[in-house]
Parts: sequence; C-alpha cells; structure tokens
Amino acid sequence: MADILEKTNLTFEKLGVSSADQILQLFAQLQEQFDKENRDFSAVGVRNLEHSEALRLSWLGRKSGVLTRVADNWLKPATPTFKRTLGEEFNKLKKHVDSTLEEILKSPSADSEGPSIDLSLPGVVLPLGTEHLVHQTYEELFRIFGSIGFSVVEGPEIETAYYNFEALNIPEHHPARDNMDTFYIENAPGYLLRTHTSPMQARTMEKQQPPVRIVVPGKVYRRDNPDATHSFMFHQLEGLAVDTDITFCDFKGTIEYFAKEFFGPQTRVRLRPSYFPFTEPSAEFDASCHVCGGAGCRTCKQSGWIEMFGAGMVNPAVYGFVNYDAKRYSGFAFGLGVDRLAMLKYGIDDLQQFFKNDVRFLRQFP
Amino acid sequence: MKILYDWLKEFADITAPAAELPSRLSMAGVSIDSVEESAAGPVLDAEITINRPDLLAHAGVAREVAALYRVNLKPIQTKVKESSDAAAKVARVEIEAPDLCARYTARIIRGVKIQPSPEWLRQRLEALGQSSINNVVDVTNYVMLELGQPLHAFDLDKLSERRIVVRRAKPGETMRTLDGIERKLSKDMCLICDARAPVAIGGVMGGAESEISFSTRNLLIESAWFDPISVRRTSKTLGLRTEASLRFERGADIEAAAFASLRAAELIQQLAGGEALAGVVDVYPHPQSLCKIELSRKELLRVMGADVPDREVDEILAALGFAPVRVDVNRGSAGSLAAVWACTAPSWRGDVTREIDLIEEVARLYGYDKFPARLPPAKQPAARLPHAYEEARLRERLVALGYEEIVAIPLVDPERDAIFRPADTTAAVIGNPLSEDASVMRTSGATSMVSALEWNLNHGQKNVRLFEFGKVYEVRDGKPAETRTLSLGATGLAREQSIHQSAREFSFADLKGDVDQILTLAGGARWEPARMPWLASGFAAQLSLSPNGHLVIGAAGRLARSVAQRFKLRQDAYLAELRLEPLLEAIARHSAALRYEPLPRFPAVERDFSLVLSDGTTFAKIEDVVRALDIPELRRIEAVDLFRGGQIPAGKYSLLLRVTFQSETATLTESQLTDFSARIASALGEKLGTSLRA
Ligand SMILES: [Zn+2]
Repeated sequence: MADILEKTNLTFEKLGVSSADQILQLFAQLQEQFDKENRDFSAVGVRNLEHSEALRLSWLGRKSGVLTRVADNWLKPATPTFKRTLGEEFNKLKKHVDSTLEEILKSPSADSEGPSIDLSLPGVVLPLGTEHLVHQTYEELFRIFGSIGFSVVEGPEIETAYYNFEALNIPEHHPARDNMDTFYIENAPGYLLRTHTSPMQARTMEKQQPPVRIVVPGKVYRRDNPDATHSFMFHQLEGLAVDTDITFCDFKGTIEYFAKEFFGPQTRVRLRPSYFPFTEPSAEFDASCHVCGGAGCRTCKQSGWIEMFGAGMVNPAVYGFVNYDAKRYSGFAFGLGVDRLAMLKYGIDDLQQFFKNDVRFLRQFP
Repeated sequence: MKILYDWLKEFADITAPAAELPSRLSMAGVSIDSVEESAAGPVLDAEITINRPDLLAHAGVAREVAALYRVNLKPIQTKVKESSDAAAKVARVEIEAPDLCARYTARIIRGVKIQPSPEWLRQRLEALGQSSINNVVDVTNYVMLELGQPLHAFDLDKLSERRIVVRRAKPGETMRTLDGIERKLSKDMCLICDARAPVAIGGVMGGAESEISFSTRNLLIESAWFDPISVRRTSKTLGLRTEASLRFERGADIEAAAFASLRAAELIQQLAGGEALAGVVDVYPHPQSLCKIELSRKELLRVMGADVPDREVDEILAALGFAPVRVDVNRGSAGSLAAVWACTAPSWRGDVTREIDLIEEVARLYGYDKFPARLPPAKQPAARLPHAYEEARLRERLVALGYEEIVAIPLVDPERDAIFRPADTTAAVIGNPLSEDASVMRTSGATSMVSALEWNLNHGQKNVRLFEFGKVYEVRDGKPAETRTLSLGATGLAREQSIHQSAREFSFADLKGDVDQILTLAGGARWEPARMPWLASGFAAQLSLSPNGHLVIGAAGRLARSVAQRFKLRQDAYLAELRLEPLLEAIARHSAALRYEPLPRFPAVERDFSLVLSDGTTFAKIEDVVRALDIPELRRIEAVDLFRGGQIPAGKYSLLLRVTFQSETATLTESQLTDFSARIASALGEKLGTSLRA
C-alpha cells in the first residue's frame, strides 16, 4: 500500500500509465492511503490541532506534500489526453483532503486540549496604577467648564497679601480675614500661602481685557486644625467670567449646568444670599442632595440640600484694582472645593484620606 | 447670634410661626442653623454675615422679617422720668482721640438699687447664652441684644472728678479689665479714662475698678461709637473678643447711641429705681450725613439680567428703611426702563453705599429663585494649561507602568526635608505654623514621597509604586519660587507571586526601566553616576535628556539605607525626582519632531558574542566600541545575558552580546556577516581586552 506514496515521486512515463482507468485507480489508492493515515492519527489519540497539522503537512506541504508531488510529477508533465481526467481526479482528492482537515478541527473535541480552563482563576495581570481622585475630579471639572468656554490658568501658591486680600476688596483689618486664617512666610516678608485660588482673578484681569472666562485649579492653605472636614491644605477651582453682557442669570445658568453635569441631570440648585467681599450680589450655592434626591438623609443632614460653595457677581470694587470699567463690564466668580466635591460624590467621610496616600484608598478609584 | 422669636414679635406684626422662619430667612441671606425651645420661647440660631452688624440685634432681625413678610414694624417708644438736674452739670466728657471714638454719650442715673434681675429678664438672657449678673448690667446687655448698641455702666462715684476722657493709651500703660486680667496697652488702643486713670478699653471691655457692685448707687451709662478697625486691632492684640467688640468692629449705628442709653435708662428705672438726670452728655464733633444713592432700572437689568416689578422695588427698599423716591421723568409709568429711585441709606446700614448694594438688597428680598438661569454664549475656545497634553501622556504612562498617583501636603517637617534638600536651597519657612512637623514648604518631592512609602509600609502595604506631580518651593533673595516636579517612589515586589509567575523584588533595573519608559516620550535619557546624600552610593544616577545630552533633568536611585533607617523603612526603596517643566517641553519638542520611517524590506540578522570582560567595563563602553566601527547595517546592540562566577575568573564577568544587522537595500550575505562579526570581535579585543568565549 505504501508504495502508492512512492509512485507519486515518479512520472506517468516511468509508471507506464496508459489509460484513464489506471489514473482513477491511482487516485483511489491515494484517497485510501489518506483515509488510513487519518484513522491512524485518531487511533493514537493525538490532539486535533496536531492531528490536522500533521496531515496537512504530509499531504499539502509546499515542499514535499503528497498532493504537491502529484501536481509536480503527474499533473504538470501530463499529455493532453490525460490532462482532463487527471485534473478532475486531483481536484476531487484535494477537496476530500481539505474537507477532512476541516472536519477534524470542527469536531466537538477540537478545542478540548487537556483539562478545561478554570475560569474562576485569575489571568496574568500586569498591575496598573491609578490617578489620584483629586486629579480625576479636576479632569472632570475641566471637561465640564471647558465645554462652556472656560480656559484653565494657574497661579502661585506663595502669594502676596495684595493679590490674596487687597485686590479682592479685603483690606487689612477686614473681618473677612478671620475666616481665612493665614500662614505667613517668615523668610519672605510680605508673602503668605494663598487662602484661596481667587488671587488669579486680579492676576488674570491685569493682563487681559474681557472677555475673560477662566477656571483656576490649585492647592490652597488655611490655618485650620485638621479633622474629618478640615485640612490646612486643600484644593479649589476658581471660576471667573467677565464681559460686557454677563448677568446674574448667566451666573445661575453656569452653576446649574455644572451641578447637573457633575451630580447628574436630576440635580436641582438654589442660591441663597450671602456675603463675600469680592462678590456682590453674593450667594451660597446649594445642590439638591444626590443621595436622597432631596427627601432628606444623613448626607444632607435631613435638609435635602447640600451646601456647595460661595459665588456671586464680581464686586465692582474688584474692577477698580485691575482698571476695568465697572460701568461697562460685569461678571461672576465662584470658588469650589474640589476635595469636598469628590467627598460628596463618592461618600468619603474623611478629608484626611486624600493626603495620607494609602494605596488601599488610592486603588478604590481606578 | 441667637434670636428669641417672642422678642422679635415685640418689634413687628409677625404671624408666621417660628418653624417657618428658618427657610424664609435663609433664602434672604440670614442662615438659621437650628430652632430650639427655651423657657423664653423658641430660639433661632442665626448665622449673621459680617457685613450686617444691624442683624446682631432683635430689632434689626425684626426689620428684616417685616420686609420679608411685608408686615408692619412697631415703633419703639420709651418713657423715662427725668429729674430737673441736667446730666451735663454732673459729668463731663472729652474726646481727645476723635479718630478712634467719633461719638461718646453719657447718661447719669442716681440712687439706683443694685439687685438680681427679675425672672423674665434672666430667662431671656439665659436663653441667649448670657449669664445674668445684676439688674443694671443685665439691662445694658439686654439693650445691646435688642438694639445692637453696646453699652457700659460705670459706678459714677468711682470715676475720679466724674470726668470721662477718651484718649489713646500711653506707652507702657496697663489696666485691669472686668475679667480680672492685667492688660498691657499700646498707643493705638482707645482708652476711656477718668480724671486719673483708665477705666475701660473703648468698645472692648470695662475696667475692674469702676465696675458695678451691690453697693453702687449712682451710674454713668456709656453709649458710644468706636472706630471698627481700632476695636478690631485692639481686641486681636489683647486676644479679647467680646459681644461689644464684635459689634463695634463690624460697625455700630452711630445715630443710635443716645436712643439706646435712653432705652436703658427706662429699663433701669423700672428694675432698679433711681432718677435719671435730664438730657445726655453727647460729644459728637462731626455728625455724619446719610448716604444718598440712586438705583436705576437700567443698572438693575445690566447686572441681574432680568427685571423686578416697580412695586417690588418700592416695597422692598421702603421696608428696609431706604425711603425710595422715583425721580425719573417717567415716574408715572409702571415698568419704565428709565426708572430711577433716589434712596437714603439709613444710619444702621453702613454696608450700603453704592448702587450695586441696592441692587443686591432688591434681588435678595425679591428672591434669587425668580431670576431665570441661562448659559452665556462662549466667544472663545477654551484653552487647557500649557503642556496639559504632555502631562496627560506622562501620567497615563505612569499608570500603565503600575504607579499610583499621590497628592501630598507640601508643608513638611524641616528636619526631614533637610535630608533631601538640594545644595544652596533655602526653604520657605512658615512664620506661624500649626505644628513643627508642618512648618516649612518642601524643597524636594522626595520628602513627601518617602513619607508616603513610610505610611504604606506601616499599614501593611509592602508593595507600592507611587508618583506625584507637585511643586517644590524655595526662597531666593527674599522672594519665593515654585518649581514643578515629578517624583517616583517604589518598594517591595515588582511582581507578586501568582499561579502564573513567581515573585520578584523591585530592583534598580526596574526603576531604570520605568524611568526610561517615561523619558522615551522625550527622546530618551542618559544615566550617569552621581552622588547624592539621600541616595545609596553606587546606586545613584543623574539623568539628562539624551537628544542634547546636557540638560540635567533629575536624579534616580536607591534610597540610602541610613536614610531608610531614619524613616524606619525595613526594605529598600527606589526614588526618582524629575524637573517637570523642561521634561514637558522636551516631550512636546520630541513629539513634534517624530517622523515616519519606512519599514525594512529585507530581513534582519542577529549575531551573538559571548564576552568575558573585566569588572568596570560598562555596557556603554562596549556600545561605543561597536558603534565606532560605523557599520551602516548595524541596527541594535543588546545585552542578553550576564553572569559572574562559575568558570568565570574573579574580577571578570561574562556578557552575551547580541548585535542585529539589517540592510535597507539587500539581504545581507554570509560573507558580509562574517566580516561584521570579525571586525566587532577584533575591535572589542583590541579596545577592551575582551576575550571571546566559544
Ligand atoms: Zn440627602
């Protein structure tokens, strides 16, 4: 039987083939040989992939596959008399080989190579790091305010009293300074750690004529003893919009847009009159509680509202410090606590967690 | 400020129940934190903003409530029986420091009987958190809580020559205040003196000597106006904040001074008897005129963006005491765009001096909720920070490498910071720190990074990789400077044990690989040996960006074990500190210069060289020797394996070098490759004394 394989190394001339019947017989023997090899593999029980690959190599291999030899030795030199029969038989056999190989791979046992995988075991994990929640929150705020035309600018943390207080209409001895207990720099007289990101209001307006529409991220410092809701360093985002046509209604719309984007479209907002030296009219901005939706819960101390931040229309006195015409321009400003926003959104009850940098905290916000 | 609901009703026709007031008042700017019951009725705890001293009194809050509910205010009437003797005959008042005290009134009451206050008075004071002293002192406190004007009662017989002199303190002067403490005074403090000595610190606290006692018979009631800044400065300097100083430093109603002491006289007569002398000694050298302000609808619309009806404007301003009068030519027509209201700010509203102040009054009582919300159209594209994009790429790469971002408080311990402080750097020192361990601004990111590693190790987190985008701070020539920095820190396992792979310690090579991975964004880095006190010698490198080679960008290495010990770290830690700004610029430059290279069309061929080298022969040297041959087909030089010991003699090491060749124009022939290999082998032998192993 095996000599049928030998025969594929020889031409018809040497084999003395002289009739179509002989050709049919040769191809029948080849198919029988192929089927036998296929059966032998199955009997040995090798894996399907190897099985089909081995058969493919010995029958279809480019250099020495049986069918390649048949094509080279029988088909190519064939006389016109046998060409047609040969071609038909060759294609028939080729089809048989192809479909058999395909069958093997399709058979139900094709992929069950050894014991099946325990899907509950972990995969190979390349550890990924995380971005800090404060940074993630800033990114979200930049996206929200960027989408309504606010550019990002930055300023120094070690500030002068002029920009931190005076240019914001908080002269020395103003009682408002009591709420912003300040760290002073001993070896750089006249400098302090900024108590808010508001100094960038004057710094920006000094350099730029309206329209101004900026947000200012950064660290701020207050001389408060640390506890669950206080830290002597925290993060703010200042907002400022000034132009010839900015009104209280625009201020409300902007605040409302922010709240709905940040806490969800169902969020309602309200403005309560308040007082800040650098805004007038001033307001405290409350958002409906995102936990209970306004019904009252622990987060909102049963009020249904959560105090967000202070804001208001820019006090015309502030324009005086930057040589803007207060009769021509108007605008609004707000200063939101970034850590506080993240605390509210994710239900974090301890501000100190943000700065301890325990990886068990950091990894909670991948 | 605590407010008694029942007391409010004495000044206005309030019908709304106490429980309803908090929400209404909050939406008009008076935040009420709580409502509690007391023996004197419901008590509202109000948060009064610092611009509204007039609300530190029941009459003032009642006015606000009346304006809110549009109900009537009741006039306050006083009935005092005055004797025929004039007060001015008995006592004299001189103001020597009119800049500190603009008005001083004194009322004299003779023959009072000091005794405990009646129940109703004690109840009210106690409900508001004040303790009852005696009838006269309680009355002065009561009137302050009622009208907002702080009063002080002196024992007239203890005032030398029954004379009051208001003057600055003299250098070195002292006095004992009511609380029994001897106070050191300074020359910008306002003193109330008798003919002989100080008897009170103006607007802050009275003196112990002239205090009302149970033997007091005759009284001088002071009702004055003190300069807010002076009172504030004095009370801060002395660390003495009182109900009186709180009101004066925010601005008391100068016109209310005489009336408040009249009200006190009335109550004292009721509770302590005595005769009030006729009139009041009133020194008020420059009576103040009331502020006239106009409010135009045009400006209201410009600021608020939506209108408020005429009637609302009229009613609100009138109820708050601004006496509005329409003065425009269209005053007959409602809703006129030309409408202008001429107003007069009442003496108790020193905070209202400009049109914008009136606009705020109208807007807050009309209701902020009545103004529609709309988004202003954006006129300019929104810009991110310069290099925000480059920073984002750095950050995402660090996260991909497994590093967690931290945010640290830059106020640190000076001793710790000094370990990492670069030479010739002066830290910014906090003059008034909360604690010693947060008293300088850090000069190195490593200060915070090592603390973060320490925290995690102390909390059972042994395998940690961290990064921080932050700043370092210093003082140069008396001026502060802030520089952005990127810090990396790693300790523990680089790879944890799992079913798929074994555990592996984080090593210098991990740090180098990670740092190189991020600096690839900037075109790659050069590592050169460096000495830094906080890094282990032999494991410390100075990093510079390789394209220009000379831009030093930072340092990296293993934390010196002596430093690790000070922080009680029981495992090795690896740190890197990079200057951020030049790095971001380099990333921007490098990204802009990136250009496509066609993919090779001909196969690459590798040749391995097994070398035995003397210790101290660096890989960089080997690379230099091979590259110096200028073989254009040379593509890559890699160190594939390195070992010491075994058959390799001491002082030597074995290195498996893999060199890759590739041509852009043809498949390399065997003879070309043989030639390359031979040239490399002989160059290495010649230049480095390398022996080739079979
Ligand atoms: Zn809630």
